[in-house]
Amino acid sequence: MAAGHSAGEMQKAYIKIFSALMVFTLLTIVAAKFVHFPESWGSLSTVLHVTIGLLIAVAKAWMVVYVFMHIKFDNPYIRVFIYVPLFLFAVLVFALTVLGGPTL
Amino acid sequence: MSALSLAHEPVTGIRHGKLGMWIFLASEVMFFSGFFTAFIILRNANLSVFAHGATELNWPLAALNTVNLIVSSLTMAMSILSLENGDKGKFQLYLGITFLCACGFLVIKYIEYTTKFSHGIYPGTSSFFGLYFTMTGFHAIHVIGGMIPIGWMLAKSFTKRGYADTGRVEILGLYWHFVDLVWIFLFPVLYLIF
Repeated sequence: MAAGHSAGEMQKAYIKIFSALMVFTLLTIVAAKFVHFPESWGSLSTVLHVTIGLLIAVAKAWMVVYVFMHIKFDNPYIRVFIYVPLFLFAVLVFALTVLGGPTL
Repeated sequence: MSALSLAHEPVTGIRHGKLGMWIFLASEVMFFSGFFTAFIILRNANLSVFAHGATELNWPLAALNTVNLIVSSLTMAMSILSLENGDKGKFQLYLGITFLCACGFLVIKYIEYTTKFSHGIYPGTSSFFGLYFTMTGFHAIHVIGGMIPIGWMLAKSFTKRGYADTGRVEILGLYWHFVDLVWIFLFPVLYLIF
């Protein structure tokens, strides 16, 4: 159990996160399938859909990591194992897209 | 050497097993990062192929699988809490639900795959489906990888000695939440946004 937190508090936190994850999943579906931007917006509408979808996914992932995986309660050293690979992923994407990757 | 220093890493004070799992998960993030990077590059090069491919996928079934994994994440967290509180019955119940959710996930994935195959869609059909089958396939292998220790712990909990190693269940929980985490990104990327 997380230090300084009772079982009841932890249970409440888990239920809250579970509810938020369900709501955010519904939001992802609504945003992607039922929200239509004007056709005149062209590729901007695709960019908006992708951005909204990914922002919701990041928020959901953060909730899982923060509460379910106990990052909120655990030793801060553990955060290194999240930040370092995420930074390397960002470098990988940046290097292969913005800086120019393989020509396909 | 004290028992504490044997069980815990001396600088951070984190249990060795837990630290090992976090290092493994960091490598897993990089593993799936490779697939997501390939997806971004190939998608940008073949926008129409990817847009068409995504319309062939059954997003309601994938949404059901998302719910499945979110419920299993909750029950996994609750099972750890129950074991820490010494409530064996609830531990078995929650871990059992987690296992059933994992089974449900695989059944839905099986339905999805067989439907694709019956429509003549295979990994070689297009770059989109190549990545779709690779990414979801590896994710399904991870689900199976989690089900084995979940099943083992569950079976052990029904024996006379029972199961009381909260540390190991917590480490398994970290892995299971990671499996959920990967799906959180796979679901919108493959099925919804194109």
